[in-house]
Amino acid sequence: MKIVIKGKERQAGQKHRWLKVVWPAILVAVLSFSAILFFQAQGSWWGKKEATVPETGGQTQKAAAATVTPVGQKAASAGNKSEQRAAQPTAARSQAKAQPTQPAGSSTSSIKDIPEPTLQTLKENRFLEEELKLAKTPQYYFVLNLREKTLELRARGMVLKSWKASELRYTGKPVPLQVTTLTNKTALKPPERKVLNPAEQQAEEEKKAAEKAKLEEAKNKKAEEAKKPEQAPTSTATPADTFEVEALEITDMPGSYELNFDDGLRIFIRSRSGLQESFRQTRERLLWYTWYPVKHFLWRKSELRPQLVLYFDNMREAQGIYWAFIDGIKGIIWFP
Amino acid sequence: MRFWKFLLAATVVVYLAALTIVALSWVHHLKLSAEWKTVWSFELDPRARVKPETQNAALKKKIKELQPKGVYIMVDSAENRLYLKKDGQTVKEALVSTGSGVVLVEPGGKRSWVFDTPKGEFFVKSKIQNPYWVKPDWAFIEENEPIPKKMEDRVEAGVLGDYALGFGQGYFIHGTLYTRLLGRNVTHGCVRVADKDLEEVFKASKIGTRIYIY
Repeated sequence: MKIVIKGKERQAGQKHRWLKVVWPAILVAVLSFSAILFFQAQGSWWGKKEATVPETGGQTQKAAAATVTPVGQKAASAGNKSEQRAAQPTAARSQAKAQPTQPAGSSTSSIKDIPEPTLQTLKENRFLEEELKLAKTPQYYFVLNLREKTLELRARGMVLKSWKASELRYTGKPVPLQVTTLTNKTALKPPERKVLNPAEQQAEEEKKAAEKAKLEEAKNKKAEEAKKPEQAPTSTATPADTFEVEALEITDMPGSYELNFDDGLRIFIRSRSGLQESFRQTRERLLWYTWYPVKHFLWRKSELRPQLVLYFDNMREAQGIYWAFIDGIKGIIWFP
Repeated sequence: MRFWKFLLAATVVVYLAALTIVALSWVHHLKLSAEWKTVWSFELDPRARVKPETQNAALKKKIKELQPKGVYIMVDSAENRLYLKKDGQTVKEALVSTGSGVVLVEPGGKRSWVFDTPKGEFFVKSKIQNPYWVKPDWAFIEENEPIPKKMEDRVEAGVLGDYALGFGQGYFIHGTLYTRLLGRNVTHGCVRVADKDLEEVFKASKIGTRIYIY
């Protein structure tokens, strides 16, 4: 049987001619893979180099976040020394007094040898030290537990209120276990305070009252004509929830918004409500699983801005968080 | 034919390269995710920590010592609920009214007031039975009335209910005539409670009792 392609007769040995194209392509792909791996290694080396450069503000905190890891991936004596010293727990500080210029690498290598339960204890120790700082102040603060997916409002170490997220996602470089401060909240439709200007309001009310009186007169005339019995006023039987009050209430708060913190962290609060919101969340989910990993991989600076997304089944929970999270609120985010 | 071959090769290369980038990105992404569970930011020398458990216990004790003992009051301004607590247990729960969040502007725009209930930790500073309300300037401005010069003209009896607990800067937990509005944010910053509920709170609290408003 002869195979004829475009009038040409296929010759022996040309049966898998397409392989001549695919094999070089695979070779190029492998080479590009190796190149990317090489650049990735270079990138992490650069990252290390960057971490040793003293910086200020959020960048320093990020560098500090990357300094010590229990798995010993990155270790360097990074950033501002005073900040680092402030971030040290008391026991570590006492050791620092004894050995002021201890190479960070040696400590990292020893971290590797510590058993997991001890590491957990040390981590808890760090958390408790940070919480103690907050508990000493009269303001309430928050604790976000990434393992339990719980967000707690605390004062003096006591839980005032807690919310449980149905889903939690995080990306970017991990946030350091230290106190963080909310700088601002952003929402598509932020709540607006009602402004009362009594003089203007009175003039408007008078106008409305006059119009209402006219309407009532007209109605009364019609009623008399129809000879229908008058209805009793229903206002006394109205429950409080049906009153229209000029106020800013929990129901006026947005169900989806963003919390921005001083160390660059962004927390997105989302509640499952409405078709429009579900479309938005689907789009965000797609971006999260496809675009964000690529973005962080190709542009390493983008991963320095960690992001957290918390989903709540009940919109009121998300609204409650918006209500309680006043600008300047401090808190701790940790993974116990 | 050559063009098509080239195009096919280019497509395959681009596709494989994209696939590689995505795969590597995911490896990187997973590595980062794992770091969230392990990383914390401080110089750690485990040899320095002789007994971290002991230190943790001490820290927990310090935090516990900061917690209120005995009776304290918690006010949830979002849900308009008051909780009377004793040693961590809820003794009484009541429906309240808290600040409306409205901004009042004086005609002419000289002064303005925000009717928010303050948030944070406070203490009971005064306990008053059958309180009188000394109306501040905003009360007259709100009603579009002239501000009186005499103190006597500012005093109004009965509107604050039978009891009032002052917690500073002119804010009170007091009774109300407008019980229908309990559960809503309608006040000028004070916490309104039904007289029956407030009686129990009033009797249980002392000067210095802590109040947490959030």
